[in-house]
Amino acid sequence: MSTQLLVVDDLHTTFRTAAGLVAAVGGVSFDLATNETVGIVGESGSGKTVLARTIMGLQPRSNVEVRGSVLLDGHQVVGASEREMRERWATDVSMVFQDPMTSLNPVMRIGRQIDETLRVRLGMDKRAARARAIELLAMVGMPSAEHRYRAYPTQLSGGMRQRVVIATALACSPKLLIADEPTTGLDVTIQAQILNLLDDLKEQLHMSVILITHDLGVVATRTSRIIVMYAGRIVEMGATRDVFFRHRMPYTRALLESSPKVSNPSHTRLRVIPGRPPNLSTLTSGCAFAPRCSSASERCHQERPSLEPAEEPGHVFACWHPLAATELHEAPR
Amino acid sequence: MLRYVLRRLTLLIGIVWVISVGSFYLIHLLPGDPATVILGTGASPANRAILYRQLGLNKPIIEQYFVWMGNILHGNLGTSFISETSVASTIRTALPIDVELIVLSQILAFAAAIPLAMRSARKPNGVLDRILSAGSFTLLSIPSFIIIVLLVLVVSIKLGIANTGPSSYVSLGSDWVVNLESLALPAFTLAVGSFVIYFRVLRSDLIATLQEEFITMARSKGLRQRRIMWRHAFRPSSVALLGAAGVNIGGLLAGGFVVEYLLGIPGLGYTLITGIASSDYLLVQGIVLVVSVGVVLINFVFDFIISVVDPRITRE
Ligand SMILES: Nc1ncnc2c1ncn2[C@@H]1O[C@H](COP(=O)(O)OP(=O)(O)O)[C@@H](O)[C@H]1O
Ligand code: SF4
Ligand SMILES: [Mg+2]
Repeated sequence: MSTQLLVVDDLHTTFRTAAGLVAAVGGVSFDLATNETVGIVGESGSGKTVLARTIMGLQPRSNVEVRGSVLLDGHQVVGASEREMRERWATDVSMVFQDPMTSLNPVMRIGRQIDETLRVRLGMDKRAARARAIELLAMVGMPSAEHRYRAYPTQLSGGMRQRVVIATALACSPKLLIADEPTTGLDVTIQAQILNLLDDLKEQLHMSVILITHDLGVVATRTSRIIVMYAGRIVEMGATRDVFFRHRMPYTRALLESSPKVSNPSHTRLRVIPGRPPNLSTLTSGCAFAPRCSSASERCHQERPSLEPAEEPGHVFACWHPLAATELHEAPR
Repeated sequence: MLRYVLRRLTLLIGIVWVISVGSFYLIHLLPGDPATVILGTGASPANRAILYRQLGLNKPIIEQYFVWMGNILHGNLGTSFISETSVASTIRTALPIDVELIVLSQILAFAAAIPLAMRSARKPNGVLDRILSAGSFTLLSIPSFIIIVLLVLVVSIKLGIANTGPSSYVSLGSDWVVNLESLALPAFTLAVGSFVIYFRVLRSDLIATLQEEFITMARSKGLRQRRIMWRHAFRPSSVALLGAAGVNIGGLLAGGFVVEYLLGIPGLGYTLITGIASSDYLLVQGIVLVVSVGVVLINFVFDFIISVVDPRITRE
């Protein structure tokens, strides 16, 4: 039956730190169909990166406990050894890292960084790998790719470096691409270029994509579904239009109101969500958003709401006092 | 890159010039008439006259400097009145011994330090790392003369391995096998000190580098641990190592004398000590000049290597 490329079931990632246990991912379940693009949104610190790396099996191996299940293309990732994952990284799943300033090796020419994947993983010879790397650079829109092949990362702008990171991630045609805030450090026009590029490449290469961001505006037009994360858990998930227009969870609304691209800047002032994300090592039994939520009741502080279905198919939310299920927002511009 | 090298080169010339003034002045810093300093009090008037001509001592000091400098640029460091040989030729015999000793010791030190630092850095605070770190710390606290004495006791005397004891030095040209045997213990001793420095510097930089995001990215490309270590982590972690090597090798050139003296190896250090003992100031002056310039040159070369290894450096 499986058209599902990825099935994540009750996934937990817990760090053992000097300050105690940090439940960075606390019971996440979702799936992703082949060729689908899903967005994961949440403030900084909500566990998006840890979730992404756990799905890839890329967490450091010491002082981490991972429980639950990640079936990627039918194979279990949780508990797989580094050696087993090495065979799957780059070909089954790869990642575009958040910060192109730190994710490229500063003392290695960018061409080498791309073609070593091709040589090691696809067994290409030097010549073929070089030709393919230049092709990939051209594909991600690197001007004069042949010449840039020999450049060091420090000789490129942030946007160009991110294109290199994308070219590297795509080198072995992965089935799943996880883009972890791929545009966060870049300026606005470059952001749009990079996101459009990812869109085009996804169509071209028939990949599934997980697009992670803290800005709902980024995923508005590019994803079929959106997952909203808070404090290591999914608090709302559904089709993109449902999350935008019929969301039920106060945190989702707060995120929308804080997004520069979604709220109309000429009418509303950008609202930041008051308060800070919770400390993940001291989570209580209640709703993690309660200290910052204006609708919070006594119950919210005591009991954690679980994900309940909304009216629309596939739309779920976790809240004791959901917002009314009416059209809540104007269409994103 | 070119501008960087030119800038360093200007600096180098400046430093060498300062060194030349310093070593020139050495003779004049000592109390008394330079001729008396060099020749001793019982010198014959004839010798004094020769020296006055050789050094231009009756001319103003600036002019003396230029005369002296001119001689040096022609490879003429003067003729020792003690041994009655030219200082330059003495140095020409002694210097290659130091070069060989340093090369041997550095090969040993790097060959041990690099793989062990990589092993250690893979699991910081793991069993191997603790053993190596504690071991290297212990070695650091043992002076080289103790190491050499212990080595001679065990290797040359107890085990009775030929050509390894004191005064067994044979030059490379006459018999290279015996030459290597005779340099084995001193090279090993110098290697121990270097190893400790290199191991510790590289280990800590590797640990830092392995935390970097680009290492995670390299992993996510499906590369093997070994490749990640050598291709991705080693180069960006080796800047401090090369800096330390530059300083350390310079130090060995200047400070290898303990080992040389104990084993009677006629390198520069040994020659310097005998020069000082016999008040052979021209020889001392010549060695000080050569060693200082050598130290500066070695550091210049290592700076250059660093700028090649890490292209970020030349681009500010
Ligand atoms: N290696 C680690 N050890 C301990 N805590 C960690 C580690 N990595 C991440 N965390 C914690 O997990 C939480 C989630 O982090 P992250 O996934 O990076 O958030 P996001 O990507 O959503 O901004 C943070 O509170 C962070 O401090
Ligand atoms: S459960 Fe309560 S605290 Fe949590 S989001 Fe809903 S209303 Fe707010
Ligand atoms: Mg993140």
